[in-house]
Amino acid sequence: MSAIHLQNLVKKFGDFTALKTMDLAIADGEFMALLGPSGCGKSTTMNMIAGMEEPTSGKILFGERDMAGVPMGRRGVGFVFQNYAIFTHMTVRQNLAYGPRMRGTAKAEIDRRVGAIAEMLQLTPLLDRKADRLSVNILQRVAIGRSAIMEPAIFLLDEPLSNVDAAFRAVMRTELKQLQRQFRQTMVYVTHDQLEAMTMADRIAVMDHGVLQQVGTPLEVYNDPANVFVARFIGAPGMNLLKGRPAESDRGLVVDLGPLGITPPLPGELAAALRGARGEVLYGFRPEQATLVQDGQGLAMQVTFVERIGARTIVHLGQGETAVKTVFDNDVGLAIGDTAVVAPAASSVRVFDAASGLAMRAG
Amino acid sequence: MSAVTAMISEDEMKAVGARPVPRDEGARLGFRLTLPAQILVLFISAFPLLMQLYISVTDWSPLSGLGWWNAWSMWNNLANYTDLAADPRFWSALKRTAIVMIVCVPAEFLLGLALATLFADDFPGKRIFYSILLMPMMVVPAVAGYMFFMLFQSGGPVNDILSALTGSPVTIAWLSDPTLALIAVMVADIWQWTPLMFLILLAGLVGVPEDQIKAATLLGANPWQRFVTIVLPKMKTIIIIALAIRVIENFKIFDTLYIMTGGGPGVATETISVYIYKLTTQDLIWGYVAAIALAILIVLSIVAVFAMKRMARAREVPA
Repeated sequence: MSAIHLQNLVKKFGDFTALKTMDLAIADGEFMALLGPSGCGKSTTMNMIAGMEEPTSGKILFGERDMAGVPMGRRGVGFVFQNYAIFTHMTVRQNLAYGPRMRGTAKAEIDRRVGAIAEMLQLTPLLDRKADRLSVNILQRVAIGRSAIMEPAIFLLDEPLSNVDAAFRAVMRTELKQLQRQFRQTMVYVTHDQLEAMTMADRIAVMDHGVLQQVGTPLEVYNDPANVFVARFIGAPGMNLLKGRPAESDRGLVVDLGPLGITPPLPGELAAALRGARGEVLYGFRPEQATLVQDGQGLAMQVTFVERIGARTIVHLGQGETAVKTVFDNDVGLAIGDTAVVAPAASSVRVFDAASGLAMRAG
Repeated sequence: MSAVTAMISEDEMKAVGARPVPRDEGARLGFRLTLPAQILVLFISAFPLLMQLYISVTDWSPLSGLGWWNAWSMWNNLANYTDLAADPRFWSALKRTAIVMIVCVPAEFLLGLALATLFADDFPGKRIFYSILLMPMMVVPAVAGYMFFMLFQSGGPVNDILSALTGSPVTIAWLSDPTLALIAVMVADIWQWTPLMFLILLAGLVGVPEDQIKAATLLGANPWQRFVTIVLPKMKTIIIIALAIRVIENFKIFDTLYIMTGGGPGVATETISVYIYKLTTQDLIWGYVAAIALAILIVLSIVAVFAMKRMARAREVPA
């Protein structure tokens, strides 16, 4: 087991900067998800941890040990590829035994370790099967077993579920999380799927355009996004952000949204953080945390579209250039053209500086 | 990953219960559609083969004054085949052909594999070297033969280079020495056909999944271990194809060799093809020629069938 420290990590490919100064500390035994859209630098970060790519500058430490110049075969890192990269011309047993065999481990010792790993991953009955006709969840277990047999301190997983169909993904998420509990290794998991990150990770590092945006537990990232990008990226649909200016009203500090009117008064600490701010702000609230209210107590908008997704219904609202999504129970009686008045739950409201995109917080 | 998705969709198909087209219905339609092609194949392949078989059991020759269809009147009780078994010139030609093959094909394979490994990575000037490397393959074999004929003259460039290297004048009569002539012929063949081997093996090499190689590296395999445990097994099919092509082609080695040495000195470089050519054009005993050619065809067919079987088996297993 080993902690990972990334210090001032930078990666450039020619003129293109894939990663701009990344600092991240991953604790021993932690399940850390690197989450972001394609091209955000998450895979580059992982490849550098694995040693497949050399950083342009900065340091990677495993525990206290600097990994600069340590070739990828010697880092003690287990890597699960997006497509698992199982050696299809070998049997499951040969796949599992590959690492120890390459290091010249004695045959009896290899057999013992393969047996133990296979038992743990429930692969024993499949050991002598050719690895080219196995179902995805078995492939995943073989890939994990093949790395785990080397007893790596760190496990890296590169979008292992992206080629799996939706129904199976839920099964494999659960299985993966259980395996991590068994092995108790430090795991770094790269994904663009926030659901995977949310459900499995201890902490999530959200990245965009080669910049680390926020690190936190799934709930922290969901509840308190550090900036506009995280607010929009996390959640399905993402947070609603409405442009406006802070204004005093008789009921307390509000945000003046222009033609849309004024928002309900901001809760105490937020109001304190905003008092005195003059510039434009973005008033944000989660689609799931808005309720329909009486006229005059919220934001009145037209229903522009209704998306029924089963248990819930996503209602698209609009007024002029402003567009908002809200999520209600599926029995909501709204149709296109209706006027809806919504009020965000006061505790869920977040405000961002429109110029910098950063969250404005008390203190 | 394609293996995985394919598997899932197969299962899905089963679940939906996709109705297959009845076998005989499809077969009948298939037969009708391929009929023109089958007739063509009949004429360009089956017909000459049967004609060859027919002539090979007779003493027929174009000088016999009979149309080939009347060759039955010259039936010779399979004497061509018994002669063949006892013909020392045939057996020595066969042995020579085998020696050329045993030297040339492995040499071409190893050189081609080394070059392919080199070209699988990037290096400056790769494209230019690539084009230059493929050139020998494009040269008309007869031209290549004449080229090597000139190179190996006693006053030719090969001796000039050897003279420059050794510092004393070298005047080896390459093509008049039985052993050296055979070596010269093999050098020409290796020069001309290594590029083909290189090209096929390179295609196989770049087809080896990169992340499996990375996975092996991460598991601690050194470059040689990766080559032996991942690259070579993945290339098995293509190696078999490349070797089969070259074995079959090399067995028929003729044009380059014939122009360089004409099978000489004496019969020192006479391979099966050269022998057949001489029998056809000089001795004019076509019945005997047909018998030899048929025997060779059978041997080569066995090689081809073996290779095709391996290919079919490999194809069942997606990479």
